[in-house]
Amino acid sequence: MIKVNSPGLQTTVQDFGRIGYYEVGMPPSGVMDKYSYIAGNLLVGNKENAAVLEITYMGPVLEFQQDAVIAVTGGVMQPKINDRPVGMWETLQVKTGDVLSFDFIKQGARVYLAVAGGIDVPLVMDSRATYTLCGIGGYEGRPLQAGDVLKIGTENETDIAVGTRISDHLIPTFSKHHEVRVIVGLCSYRLTEESKERFFSIDWTVTPEANRVGYRFKGERLNFVEREQPFGAGSNPSNVVDLGYPIGSIQVPDGVEPIALLNDAVTGGGYATICTIISTDLDKMAQIKTNDKVRFVAVDINEALEIRKEYQNKIQQIKEQIIRQAGGVQNG
Amino acid sequence: MANQKSVLSPIPGVFYRKPAPDKEEYVKEGGNVKAGDVIGLVEVMKSFYEIKAENDGVLAQYFVENEDLIDAGQEVAVIIEQ
Amino acid sequence: MSRYEYGGDEFIFVELSEAMSLEINFQAMAITRTLREEKVPGILDICPSNASYMVRFNPEVIHPDTLIAKLKELEEEVSLENFEITARAVDVPILFEDPWTHEALMRFRDRHQDPSSTDLEYVARTNGFQSKEELIKAITDSPYLVSMIGFVPGLPWCYQMVPNEQQIEAPKYVRPRTFTPERAFGFGGAFAVIYPVQGAGGYQLFGTAAAPIFEKEQRLYDFKESMTFPRQGDVFRYRSISMDEYEDIRKQVENGEFRYLTKDITFKPQDVLENPKAFSESVLRRLYA
Repeated sequence: MIKVNSPGLQTTVQDFGRIGYYEVGMPPSGVMDKYSYIAGNLLVGNKENAAVLEITYMGPVLEFQQDAVIAVTGGVMQPKINDRPVGMWETLQVKTGDVLSFDFIKQGARVYLAVAGGIDVPLVMDSRATYTLCGIGGYEGRPLQAGDVLKIGTENETDIAVGTRISDHLIPTFSKHHEVRVIVGLCSYRLTEESKERFFSIDWTVTPEANRVGYRFKGERLNFVEREQPFGAGSNPSNVVDLGYPIGSIQVPDGVEPIALLNDAVTGGGYATICTIISTDLDKMAQIKTNDKVRFVAVDINEALEIRKEYQNKIQQIKEQIIRQAGGVQNG
Repeated sequence: MANQKSVLSPIPGVFYRKPAPDKEEYVKEGGNVKAGDVIGLVEVMKSFYEIKAENDGVLAQYFVENEDLIDAGQEVAVIIEQ
Repeated sequence: MSRYEYGGDEFIFVELSEAMSLEINFQAMAITRTLREEKVPGILDICPSNASYMVRFNPEVIHPDTLIAKLKELEEEVSLENFEITARAVDVPILFEDPWTHEALMRFRDRHQDPSSTDLEYVARTNGFQSKEELIKAITDSPYLVSMIGFVPGLPWCYQMVPNEQQIEAPKYVRPRTFTPERAFGFGGAFAVIYPVQGAGGYQLFGTAAAPIFEKEQRLYDFKESMTFPRQGDVFRYRSISMDEYEDIRKQVENGEFRYLTKDITFKPQDVLENPKAFSESVLRRLYA
């Protein structure tokens, strides 16, 4: 069991997410930075879909009521066991009574705590991910609160030696200036050519409205091509007949402040979507903070698939490293 | 010699010097504070986080204005220990 | 001309038409239903929407261009003529001008086109009705096709089965509200909706549904299989009820006894398109028989 002494700003139980229910309006939820999540689970020998804690901006204080093997990955937020600094991206041992806490976030925005066995909460539609809007999944459908007690599950399959570490070149670094790659499309025909060009040539600032639902950006006003609105679309030039929103799609309601839709977002609606963040860069979005600058970069589908391949190669390298270092043994 | 202690915001967001737009400021520059006193509020992700003084003293100066956007780890004020 | 677009590296978005119509919605339904039946490997989600649809896929299993070619083929092949829809006709009780949505809409008057009237009065006027009662009658006289599910879990977009010239159209709020009560009945573009849960929203607010369309506890009969009640292709009849009936239904919901009045129906899009009025009447006769 893990007792929550203090919850941090927003700490939720997450896994890969609730896949296959998008058509009924259920967003996937799940971890925002999948790379850090996968690495964390690998470092503690968990199965692929084991649940972890996703920590945003400010760490919780957690008291372990049993011995456990853990790993902390993601943005740079110095973890401490009983006030003694310990490594990130590394397999760690905690003993009964140990207290895990964190320093200020130095880089990135989100940190993942993986525990060997996974965080045990009930499965809802095949997932343990927290979706706070509807109060589904995770720990009672909400972010953690002081006094909560988390159970550790049995979703581990390999024993990983304490001290196993991922090598530096596989650990992402995060700055305050980000390039986020997108594929232009969907209803991009609604933007004027000039606005399309401006969208890619200015630095957008992340507003305080930046969470698991979506990120809102400040920059310049964008304009839509004038037209007589088609039947059923609504009167604003940024309106379209309500349609599905891909995860990572970007819309610009009324031409003011683009919004990137993320894991807990609405699945559809009546605003023209103009591009979609590619899957690998959704991980980057997870580590972007309020006030950071974002430059959007257009790539085509083949480039996106190439980038996806490189990303998966890196995950493969992590797997091989861990197996090599730990000489992992299959359970059972 | 008096010790100067920086007050840092652990999170990024919008900084407020008052609990609500129509309320008084938490502390005025030059005012006394006790450890645990709220000296400001940061809004991010539609939630509010209170910034507290960690020691007793005089809040000598704020480095950010009301409603300024601040970064995580940014120094928002300095307290001179008494 | 349909538009085939990449939604990043995991989605294909297909816009069949920029404008809404029953025919386009049936076409999207037919294409996505056929795609589902074919069980193409690598497809994760199939999301039919109003005048478009979306497919989520795993590009390691199926290349996006292979999928697009497949979808284009389907668009060619699928015909509405021999497409049959099996769905439910459902009686959906609505309390119009209820106190809860009234409170919410008054709170956000500064975000509305016409701060001096209510949403119902405004939409009645812009659609040429003499009174709000006439608008309520038009909304409740003919049933709706559930043309899309989404936004949040279970929210049904409902498109009325009437000839084009009788369609009600309403603009969305100038700036969306930050609050909409749970079960609010709203109207935006050419669509009636029920908000499953409390949250933000931009549709005009007319009333409140007495029964839930989303129930995470899954206590009620209609939610045993799924937390969400509406299914694309369902035919919803919105029925205006009194405060007494509303309170009665609320009691039934609370003690777990409420069950929607539904009838299974099978129909062909052609029947609806050729004579929406006759189709609507036959559905209502069957529903209340």
